Amino acid sequence: MFGPWPVVVLLVPALLLRNRLGLFSDEDLRLWSTLFVSICIQALPFLVLGVVISGLIGVFVSPELVERRVPKRPILAVPSAGLAGLALPGCECGSVPIAGRLVSAGTPPAAALTFLLAAPAINPVVMVSTAVAFPNTPMVVLARFLASFAVAVAVGAWWANRRNESLLDALSTDHDHSATKLHRFVDVASRDLVHAGGYLVLGALAAATLQLVIPRSALDSVVSSEVMSILVLAFLAVILSICSEADAFVAAGLPQFSLTSRLVFLVVGPVIDIKLVAMHAGVFGRSFAMRFAPVTFTIAVVSAVVFGQVLL
Amino acid sequence: MVSIGAMAARLLWSGGYGWFVQQHMFIPLLLAAVVLIAFGAFEIAVGIREEQRIGATSRWRVAPTVGWLLLLPLAVLVAVAPTGLGAAAASRIEAFSPTEQTDEFPPLDTGGGPVEMRVYDFLDRAIWDDERSLDGVAVRLEGLVVNDDEIADGFQLTRFLVSCCAADGIPLQVALRGLDAPLEDNTWVIADVVWIEPDVPYADSGLRIVEAEILSIEPQPGVRKDPYESPY
Repeated sequence: MFGPWPVVVLLVPALLLRNRLGLFSDEDLRLWSTLFVSICIQALPFLVLGVVISGLIGVFVSPELVERRVPKRPILAVPSAGLAGLALPGCECGSVPIAGRLVSAGTPPAAALTFLLAAPAINPVVMVSTAVAFPNTPMVVLARFLASFAVAVAVGAWWANRRNESLLDALSTDHDHSATKLHRFVDVASRDLVHAGGYLVLGALAAATLQLVIPRSALDSVVSSEVMSILVLAFLAVILSICSEADAFVAAGLPQFSLTSRLVFLVVGPVIDIKLVAMHAGVFGRSFAMRFAPVTFTIAVVSAVVFGQVLL
Repeated sequence: MVSIGAMAARLLWSGGYGWFVQQHMFIPLLLAAVVLIAFGAFEIAVGIREEQRIGATSRWRVAPTVGWLLLLPLAVLVAVAPTGLGAAAASRIEAFSPTEQTDEFPPLDTGGGPVEMRVYDFLDRAIWDDERSLDGVAVRLEGLVVNDDEIADGFQLTRFLVSCCAADGIPLQVALRGLDAPLEDNTWVIADVVWIEPDVPYADSGLRIVEAEILSIEPQPGVRKDPYESPY
């Protein structure tokens, strides 16, 4: 398409002008780069794991196979896709290309979306790290598991009810006829990596910038009421865009907030954040991301508040 | 793609990855770098073969525009050369203090000189240990100097608690007092200190500012490659 030029055109003036503008000190620029680079590097192994799996799906999973194996009715397909999320010990960046590839292989979109939301939120690594971060309140682990699972299933059900819409239009469903299976595997994995990876970088850019513009210490002034603190932590989860395996420790470090509002933070973060919106837009199309994000955000907040009130 | 793999490999080789992610990310990153380089090499080899066969460059697949963004972290690394979280981050993020009370603290081995301790454990004992095991014990702490206007004769010894990557880093701070000559921000120091017990217990005052008196302090040259504490 355009090649590298849009990136160069944006980047070079930014680097040249940064001292003239005086918006950020050198210290701030270094902090920004540390945040930006660390979000990218931290996501890299998970993204590579994700595209390797998506490459395998591209080679070995045909629409016919999906036809035979995946339950037809959404009422069965959606919860089982949620449970399948248990098996992928990664964080959110890896599950986006996998879900995209599952849909191109013929999986019902509702089930693929449930998998997309469940995999980073309820996998064993995340549960263990949550337990480590909250050693004296093990109920947080249970509440997180149930609330996140409920979100994944609810969003899947929401999509299943919009039958006439297809995700396939947005996905790149090019079928190249590469000679060997190895060749096809590398092709699919590389394409997914470049695609999802590019959007991941875009998301990391936005997340690092927002972290710098909205300092976390500003939070303390706004924790006056329970409703406010729930909203504040929900938006913080979206802005921070940290890995689902690490967010429990950040939540543990916010003792001035109630347990319920911290549960909201833990449930919202893995399913929707700035970085993920960028990746969804890249893999499933912009109009999908624009509808998916607010619905998922709302369902996640409601689910976490309900389970928080009952269990914590 | 080769270049991203190479970037990861270079960071691993130089140990600089410790500024961005936790040490336990080494093996996942290494595997990712190997896979990336293998993919890239494969694509290049296939590209060259195709070119020889049909004698044109048109078979090279051009990556989508957004794919080129993958080179951006590399560009930032080269252009800015960030070296991890420091004073700027400490001033923006609320310092962390251990909240969950540990049931029991193992006794300290005070026989062989100063006790080496993580900043986290020091704060934990200072705030939560009813047996006051830190009382009068010389402790060796490591961390960064972050100057604070409210501490005239010292600074906030700062270490970041990082569970996954630097973006989730939270500062841990001990206010050190009794410094002769001021040190520059972001200097790495090894300090032997003694806990200063507060007049009012932390539990009553609600304050979590832990102070300590400097016995001796040793500024370290250069930048640490493994500057963060892990919560595990």
